[in-house]
Amino acid sequence: MTQVIGTLKARLAVWLLVMVSGLGTLLLMEAYYSTQRAAERAFDSQLEAAALTTADSVQWEGSTPVVRIPPAALQILATAHQERVFYAVLDHDGRRISANLAISIPSAGQAAAAIEPTWLDLTQAGTRWRLHGREYDSAGWDIQDPVQIWVGHTMSGRQVLASELFERAIIRFVAMVLLAGILMLLAMRVALKPMRQLRHRLRRRQADDMRPLNARVPEELREMVEALDTLFTRQRESRDNLLRFTADASHQLKTPLAGLQSTSELALQSRDPDEWYRALSDVHDGAKRTSRLAGQLLSLARLRHVEEADECLPLDLRKTLHDSVLEWAQREVAMEHDLGLAELPVEPMIIQGQAWALRELLGNLIDNALRYTPPGSEITLGLNTIGNHIMLYIEDNGPGVDPEIRPRLFQPFERGGRQDTQGSGLGLAIVDTIAQRHAAKLQVKERRPRGLRIEVHFPAAGEES
Amino acid sequence: MRLIIVEDDPMIARSLYNALSPLGNSVDIFAHVRDARAALRNDHFDLMLLDLGLPDGNGLELLSELRERGDRTPVLILTARDGIEDRVRGLDLGADDYLAKPFSLVELEARVRALLRRSQQRSDNRLTLGPLCLDPTAGAATLDGVALGLPRRELRLLEGLLLHAGNIAPREMLEGRVFSFGEVGSNALEVYVSRLRKRLQGSGLCIRTFRGLGYRLEEAPT
Repeated sequence: MTQVIGTLKARLAVWLLVMVSGLGTLLLMEAYYSTQRAAERAFDSQLEAAALTTADSVQWEGSTPVVRIPPAALQILATAHQERVFYAVLDHDGRRISANLAISIPSAGQAAAAIEPTWLDLTQAGTRWRLHGREYDSAGWDIQDPVQIWVGHTMSGRQVLASELFERAIIRFVAMVLLAGILMLLAMRVALKPMRQLRHRLRRRQADDMRPLNARVPEELREMVEALDTLFTRQRESRDNLLRFTADASHQLKTPLAGLQSTSELALQSRDPDEWYRALSDVHDGAKRTSRLAGQLLSLARLRHVEEADECLPLDLRKTLHDSVLEWAQREVAMEHDLGLAELPVEPMIIQGQAWALRELLGNLIDNALRYTPPGSEITLGLNTIGNHIMLYIEDNGPGVDPEIRPRLFQPFERGGRQDTQGSGLGLAIVDTIAQRHAAKLQVKERRPRGLRIEVHFPAAGEES
Repeated sequence: MRLIIVEDDPMIARSLYNALSPLGNSVDIFAHVRDARAALRNDHFDLMLLDLGLPDGNGLELLSELRERGDRTPVLILTARDGIEDRVRGLDLGADDYLAKPFSLVELEARVRALLRRSQQRSDNRLTLGPLCLDPTAGAATLDGVALGLPRRELRLLEGLLLHAGNIAPREMLEGRVFSFGEVGSNALEVYVSRLRKRLQGSGLCIRTFRGLGYRLEEAPT
């Protein structure tokens, strides 16, 4: 079952959101400080202008400076924000010559202003002030002493300007984010288009269409498409195999069924009980052969198409062999043969295997031996250890098999050169398939003085994973 | 003997009927789990032949119901499924034997006879096969009513063979019966078997050797 773990779009969106908000915070902080600075600069230059205008208005009456603050200077300072305005003119000793408010100017500020024009932020009576002080040189007058001129105002004008500027910056930023979001959605649609196309392609596909996809995809999707193509190829092969197998199987089944049909048809036309008896025994043989064939086809199909349905487990081959031979020895088909088991090794013979498949393997080997040896033949099964292999064998003292035909024995529908109707030629193909699945090797040997010996060499458990 | 056959294929049911009723059995055939269930509740049967794939259910359900009720009627399962899992499950549920379709009627008859014999012996302790009769409680065997006077080991061997009459008695089991403990020579059992063979000569019974597997007491082929 497919488990949905969010959408790619959501993932992209979340990451972009994280990035945009991180960057946005930095940008906004920068905007805040720069608007503060801009407001400061604008108002500071006003203070400067007011100070200069005030300086122009200092006149001397004898050795006493007289200050008449021109209205222009105060106008400069009085912004639209109901600001309170402060001015003060101090003489050389720091005494107030003229002032409108009782704001005391720190001596450190006075000392700084004596050297160069200076700026001062201070809080008095709960109000924040921005002050500008500069010294006005009184050279050319009677007294050489300079006077200090201080002007200042409260901060609200600056704050209003700064927040106006900052608001604008925020609006610009939000608009940019919205625009980027829309563009991102569009970009995602465009970027994910190949995926959408692939999906449509897969949906439109016919159930039995196993051709490669032949899609135009970006590099990121290439691997997925290649994996899909491989899957399609495997499915196609598996289906072709299945079709071929079904065709073979139905052909194989048709032959004995046709025999049954014609035999019974002929018998029905006859009135002779002897004829009926002969036909019936033919029909009986045919039915037995057909049902055996059906069983073998089923197990071959099961082996080939239900692969790896269950795992291989460690099992003792001695027990599997003993049980299978015991079961077959009691069957009616074994009545006329001497089917037996050689003395089994004392120690366990452990291999990795599927018990049902091994039983099938043994059953087919025994069945074949019973079928292709004359009554009274001796058939013996046994187990041995050879190096790190476990060797299972079955041998008989029947007629044996021509050496030329031996290599072909394990191909389906091969009957060891016999053209009689006894077998289907599937038994050893099943054995071969099961042996391959257990990484076992098959060997067909001649038995002296006569007969056939088939060996199955299994890797012992632990040798191979 | 009263037999119940639960099988939905009419052709197979008919041939089972034809094969089993001449052996002196009365045979009832049911094609549905439902009908068979009703019959099993009302009557006593000596043996049930049970198909697994039935039109209204699985035969294994019927079997497990039967065993849950404590009904020990012997059950022989007949099925086209020869997968080992089904087989093991059937035997786990309490089936007595198992025959995969297609089967030969000769084999079926042999299995039915063996099961009937076993179910009879449950009521009657004596083990019999043809003219041979063994009473384990009395420790005596008779052939055609004549006492055989077997020594202890031969008697125990014969008992082992009779318990598996019709089937192969595994060699290990027989060795365990005949020799109480200690090492057993590889052909020690064979010695006792051949002694027993001599005694059974001309009785119509014989002991067949299955190399590496065991022995089977069977009616000699005529």
